[in-house]
Amino acid sequence: MSLIRRLSFSILRSVITLFLITVILYGTLMLTPPETRATLYMPKNPSPHMTEEQYENLLQQMIVKYHLDDPFPAQYMRWAGNLLKGNWGYSPNLQEDVFTALLRRLPATLELTFYAVLIYFPLGLLSGVLSGTRKSSITDRLFRTTAFVATSLTPMVLAIIMIVVFYISLRWFAPGRLSYAFTSLVESDEFRTYTGFLTIDGFLNKNPELSLDAFRHLAMPALTLAFAQWAIVGRITRTTIIEENQKEYITAGRARGIRERTLAWRYALGNAAAPVLTHTMLTAASLMTNVFVVETIFNYTGLSTVGVKSLGGLADAPSAMGFAIYCIILVLLITTTLDLLKAVIDPRLRESF
Amino acid sequence: MAVLKRFFSRWQNWLGLFIVTVFVLMAIFAPLLSPKDPDGRPPLVQSHLRIPQPPGPGAPLGTLPDQSSIYDALVWGTRDALKFGVGVTAIIFFIGIFVGTLAAFLGGRTNSLLMGTTDAFLAFPVIAGVVFFTQLRMIMLSNLLLETDFANFSLDSIQGIGILETLFLQLNPFLRLNPAAVAFALFLWVPYARVMNASVMRLKRVEFVLAAKVSGVKNFRVMLRHLIPNAIAPVLVMAATDVGALVVLQTTFAYIGLGDSTPWASALLAGRDWIFSPKGIIEYWWVFVPITVALILFGIGWNLLGDGLIDAMNPRSVEN
Repeated sequence: MSLIRRLSFSILRSVITLFLITVILYGTLMLTPPETRATLYMPKNPSPHMTEEQYENLLQQMIVKYHLDDPFPAQYMRWAGNLLKGNWGYSPNLQEDVFTALLRRLPATLELTFYAVLIYFPLGLLSGVLSGTRKSSITDRLFRTTAFVATSLTPMVLAIIMIVVFYISLRWFAPGRLSYAFTSLVESDEFRTYTGFLTIDGFLNKNPELSLDAFRHLAMPALTLAFAQWAIVGRITRTTIIEENQKEYITAGRARGIRERTLAWRYALGNAAAPVLTHTMLTAASLMTNVFVVETIFNYTGLSTVGVKSLGGLADAPSAMGFAIYCIILVLLITTTLDLLKAVIDPRLRESF
Repeated sequence: MAVLKRFFSRWQNWLGLFIVTVFVLMAIFAPLLSPKDPDGRPPLVQSHLRIPQPPGPGAPLGTLPDQSSIYDALVWGTRDALKFGVGVTAIIFFIGIFVGTLAAFLGGRTNSLLMGTTDAFLAFPVIAGVVFFTQLRMIMLSNLLLETDFANFSLDSIQGIGILETLFLQLNPFLRLNPAAVAFALFLWVPYARVMNASVMRLKRVEFVLAAKVSGVKNFRVMLRHLIPNAIAPVLVMAATDVGALVVLQTTFAYIGLGDSTPWASALLAGRDWIFSPKGIIEYWWVFVPITVALILFGIGWNLLGDGLIDAMNPRSVEN
């Protein structure tokens, strides 16, 4: 299968997935009275001091204007068209347009995920290869025990311990995304946003203190996230390396006098990459759940703010819908990218193009 | 039985079985271990102080700031945890088996179509599901408020929902469901369906199934008597691990305010200010340690049980 064909296949599958899930989500909202769906079409800036009656009138207007008494397919099509145009509704709890709210917070989540991946992916591969090639050795036992601890200590418990040790006792790191002193600086006009990653933008704005501060706040959530994921990547790598080691090409290589180290790192690891990528593809959604849990516990203002913080107070359908759909789009983007990456890396898939 | 023999040859499996048994016994005998007074209230330690009390008479594991016993929350929380874990796992287990087997049995294009739809659910982060269903419940509650025509109520007064919540629970059965349970049940069955589908597809070509078909056994019977029992082992193992994992996930969600609260999560939340105070985790250790250890052991117990079952059923497993 050529690369282009693989890509178009992947995109097609993503579009169908998105369609199915939005049908289910909107279908669920059909169980509620039309007033609820009317909130999805609320104008961006309704007056904050509306009386109950005015609000009711506005809802009724929306129902008439957007035909919210129509049968499901017609309503769904109209709503989906609106989504494509970027009208994701107005969230009364965030006091913000949902789509802008999501876009604004995306870089924070990306930054956290980026550093976590940067920590756990290489470390996971490294420890997986080390313990896989020395099966049943002390290194292997040590890895397996630590990995077991890492997966058993849930992110929640680990996060609490981290806050107590690194924030309250040692004062090394801090929760949140930035210190108070820097928050206003970032929001001011002088600060130019290049990448959206505060750790990098600080340097680009010739303000390395800001970058350091961003790192100080990023450390705890990134480490918490990385610890559990490291164990998973390490385990898969270890299993694959052990399986690969029993294969004929490794024995043949050994017979020809290729060094064990070269065999493990050049040949076995190359083939171990595919299972790790496949696993990441299949669990992209649960990785995202972990990212949001960690964000919320450490009060790191990323995408999770839109979903979790909007739960307090008023009923807020637009933010819940927007949050879900945005997450799914992100997961699908990750899956498609990894699928391509797998095709490029894996020699068995690469051959034909 | 070779499987049982292999299972009991490793101490890890004994440990897993032991931990799970202890939790099950604790859940069953909760009324004996930590009796409530006739009104059904948990025991309170008499004290005018608003700080956590160390372990002492009446509260073997100390108290929370509101003077309720941590031991009580621990014991009764086990019951909630087991109910949630086993209940939700059973639901996703059956949905997964049903969809996976049906798709494989129908085969061909139907199989690809059904399994493709199944895969769509993989793209859904379960946290977004919990947020969605929590929000949906809020919406239904506020709609009920509107319908019941509470006079002079402004948009802001919906925040006072907590008081009326109990009143409306009787009106709509959906409101009684835990949003976390609904989201888990809807979005976490996919791995079961995938694994079941793969095993049944493989079995379909094995002689004894073909023989049963040729000798005129009805399709439904082939599925029920031959395919499912032979393909069920791997999903059973997944279910064992999931009981622990789902409870851990649910407690985490409850801790960050998603879904219904659980005794374990609310105990941790109630003691949060004492955990997060200078030296708090050492001076007021009982606020943090018992509950988290219980939670971690709950996860570990089921995990060991699942791992042990994999190894016992598949002697070629590399983990050995």
